[in-house]
Amino acid sequence: MLDSTLRQRPLALLAALVLAQVLLLAFQIKRDHDVRLIRYWTAAAVMPFERSGTWGFSKTGGVWSEYIGLRGTRAENLRLRTELDQLRIRNRELEGQAGEAERLRLLLNFHEAHQETPMLAAQVIGASADPASHTLFLNRGDRDHVRRNQPVITPDGIVGKIVEVFPATSQVLLINDKDSGAGALLADTRTHGVVKGSGDPDPRLDYVVNDEPVHQGEMILTSGEDRIFPKDLLIGTVSMASQGNPFQTIHVRPAARLDRLEDVLILLTLQELKKTNESADAASAESGAPGIVQKEAPASAAAAKPASAKPAAASSANQTPAAAPTNSQN
Amino acid sequence: MSYMLNPGAQSESNIEVHKYYGGTVLVAAFSALVLQAFLNKYGRWSELVDLPLLVTIYFGVSRRNPVTGMFLGGAIGILQDALSHDNPIGLYGIAKTIVGYLASTVGARIDTQHPVSRLALIFLFFHLHQIIFAVTQRVLLNHPEPFFTVRLLVNSLATAAFGVALFALLDRLRRSS
Repeated sequence: MLDSTLRQRPLALLAALVLAQVLLLAFQIKRDHDVRLIRYWTAAAVMPFERSGTWGFSKTGGVWSEYIGLRGTRAENLRLRTELDQLRIRNRELEGQAGEAERLRLLLNFHEAHQETPMLAAQVIGASADPASHTLFLNRGDRDHVRRNQPVITPDGIVGKIVEVFPATSQVLLINDKDSGAGALLADTRTHGVVKGSGDPDPRLDYVVNDEPVHQGEMILTSGEDRIFPKDLLIGTVSMASQGNPFQTIHVRPAARLDRLEDVLILLTLQELKKTNESADAASAESGAPGIVQKEAPASAAAAKPASAKPAAASSANQTPAAAPTNSQN
Repeated sequence: MSYMLNPGAQSESNIEVHKYYGGTVLVAAFSALVLQAFLNKYGRWSELVDLPLLVTIYFGVSRRNPVTGMFLGGAIGILQDALSHDNPIGLYGIAKTIVGYLASTVGARIDTQHPVSRLALIFLFFHLHQIIFAVTQRVLLNHPEPFFTVRLLVNSLATAAFGVALFALLDRLRRSS
């Protein structure tokens, strides 16, 4: 037994000694890619375990995540769907609020640009039940000092006029209603006419003789002769013009989007709108509100009618015959 | 002669373990290394004889202790590697460690006093040393070191012949029992 132990011990010692020298050599020898043999061997010895460990870990993690971890997925999915629906509703609310804020900002900018003109902001709360009648209901009424025939506008252009006043609400007759009419003039030639509703979505400009040159896209402004709308408010643009008998047939595309009105301004005066200062002018320009057409814009028009600078109320005193039928319709 | 041809016939306990004067082993090993390095300066004929291998074999078979035999062989081999210009340390060390161990083991089982047995032992250990050296070179260094050539045969014969004479000389350094 002892003899056997003594025989085996030198053998183990020999193995250890040889192994030590092999390791010593491995520290010195460099093989491919200038890598020391000891590194090469160590990597070769360790990497299979590392690889198998990584494989096992990933498989275990995969089992955990794909099976065990999915136990609560259905409930989580339902919860997330509910949350998504709520967020969609919330998003729509916020989009609505953002749109409202934008509209109100435009109104505010317009109001600040014309601080000397008394006006009242109102919200559209309803429309007519008759499809042929183009009217709206506003949330302002007699309590807010709203009166009949007061003009209703937006920063984009005119909308219509107040036709009925109730204690807390009022009714607006839109400019495209067949019973509506507004004194108008073509911006380039200062040719007067009357914008009247036709029952169609777009109103028409009447009483323009065939000799007058009218081109598509030309702006149509209020003339102030109807004693309702102040002078030089934008009504719309010419969408189509053709010869008629005895007057031209001119279709008008309203500047205000009459089919999707939400917030409007009620002008409490017939006074011509004037901008208060330069900053307000800048604010108006920023708001993109072309509702008030600057007289300086068409130089030819200004030259043709220099009296346009006077207040609309004053000009309305000298009514043209064209204004008469307008008012009679009102 | 008969015991050399039939090693099992003689008990291991009957084989004498030779002892030497203090420092003899160290001085002999050191001298072999120095002399080998010195002779290698003067031409290839010096490669005919491997003095460190002869010292390893001699003290292995004489002292008959595998542990001291392998340590002595390992030390001589490592020093030989250290004295070479491009060998990594351990190349000769491994070969001489194993030779030292086997020489001690063989020396503990058979009597190696006879010149013929010494000649045979040196010849065999020379080639065993070369095989281990070649295997190490091939495996670790990826060098195609030959296992056997005519030159190696000549070297082994020359080393064996010189070794018989050297062993007789070294026998004189034994301490009388």
